[in-house]
Amino acid sequence: METKKQDNVCEESVFGTIFNTHSRTVFNYIYYKFGNEEKAHDAVQEAFVKLWENCGKVSPSKAKSFVYTVANNLYLNVIKAEKVRLKYADKTLKSTNESPEYIMEEKQFKEKLDHALNSLPDNQRTVFLLNRIDGKKYAEIAEMEGVTVKAIEKRMHLALKTLRGKIDGI
Amino acid sequence: MRYSLADYFGFGVALEHFNLDYRVKLEIMQENYLAKWLNNELTEVELEEFKNSDEYATYQRIKEVSGRLEAPDFDTEQALMAVKNRQALKETKVVQLHPFKKFLKVAAAVAVLITGSYFYLNSLDEKVSTQYAESKEVVLPDNSKIVLNADSEIVYDKKNWDNERSIVLSGEAFFKVAKGKRFTVTTETGTVAVLGTQFNVEQRDGFFEVTCYEGLVSVVFNGKETRLPAGESLVAIDGVLTAIPSPETTTPSWISKESSFQSIPLRYVLSEFERQHNVTVSVKDIDVNQLYTGTFSNTDTELALKSISVPSRIKFKFEGNKVLFYAEDTP
Repeated sequence: METKKQDNVCEESVFGTIFNTHSRTVFNYIYYKFGNEEKAHDAVQEAFVKLWENCGKVSPSKAKSFVYTVANNLYLNVIKAEKVRLKYADKTLKSTNESPEYIMEEKQFKEKLDHALNSLPDNQRTVFLLNRIDGKKYAEIAEMEGVTVKAIEKRMHLALKTLRGKIDGI
Repeated sequence: MRYSLADYFGFGVALEHFNLDYRVKLEIMQENYLAKWLNNELTEVELEEFKNSDEYATYQRIKEVSGRLEAPDFDTEQALMAVKNRQALKETKVVQLHPFKKFLKVAAAVAVLITGSYFYLNSLDEKVSTQYAESKEVVLPDNSKIVLNADSEIVYDKKNWDNERSIVLSGEAFFKVAKGKRFTVTTETGTVAVLGTQFNVEQRDGFFEVTCYEGLVSVVFNGKETRLPAGESLVAIDGVLTAIPSPETTTPSWISKESSFQSIPLRYVLSEFERQHNVTVSVKDIDVNQLYTGTFSNTDTELALKSISVPSRIKFKFEGNKVLFYAEDTP
């Protein structure tokens, strides 16, 4: 589909494909930043309604960065009132044959990690989680945030350093 | 081996015993090594060093546990439905076929513009202007930057800047907008609004051009809004919109003391030349509507004259501060 030149975002099928590929990441991106599901849902809505309205002007290849920019700009002026309390599910702990001690220890570590994550600066947490949960490459995250890959690496480095400091109680 | 390396770098003795290890490692490890490690980009030596450190165990656990985290549920299907519903709602609202209403809207907009500019010009607003052959840089209260090209003027309200970032422009200027509230540039012909970006606006009689260098700007021209992404230009000549691709640069050419044009009628090129070199231009027997593509220097007048005349196949006479352009085959 990428190869056809006449592909147009105004085509419902093309729009649908773009939505299916990127809406989840837009949602997660805003969620990691603000820790608020409602805001994340709104951002997805806003970004893709805008994309539809401008479908004649935005080529399919530019659609990705377009939706991130809109989602980003939407909360540019929002002052963070609420404290971030993200909830993450853990894939493995649901069913496991490990010993109770191990599970207990693991649970404690995860609690510490959750706590440390919530207290990270927004941009470090966003970078860290986009990479760890969504498996985004540093270059992709750099594109979303409109900064260099090096800046993303710096945030990642600091995020890890802070997390480790918090967890080890330094 | 670690100790000898520390000595080699000349600080081994001065260090206290307990943080010696750490310092040495910093010397060996590349910048942002934690990010590189997560991405499996460390060299063997670095990895070995890192694994030997006390903190490695915790880092390794963070890596493992965070890799098993999941984001909250997100129903793509349902979200797409919601977007479609909102589109449907909007589309039904937009249909308005009342021509008089449209006229009223335009009239209201014009009235607002006139009173707006009247207000601006008569209140005690900050005013910065440039003469011919001059350019100026202005730093606004929020650290946004404006570079004014020759014969241009901006007016803004310094005291109220934090509440309303709004500039009235005549002439040409390059904007580097600090992130924050909506930033509006109003000209006689169109309005440009952004949140934080870099762009250039030019408005001279009958000529209106906006180029976006970073971010996304919204341009309102004749009541119609256009979104301009980075790397694109919008040009309107005598009220007719044309989109042209802009050159792949990060600042307008005039910032580096040159003026560039792409398929622009010669009369606009000549008036820009007048402004940049502070000379009076007159023409004889030449078509000033022919399109010009090229660049001229804003510092070297002789060179600039050649840059304009050669590709346009015209001749010039330069005396004092007057230039006459005339057709090649006239005596």
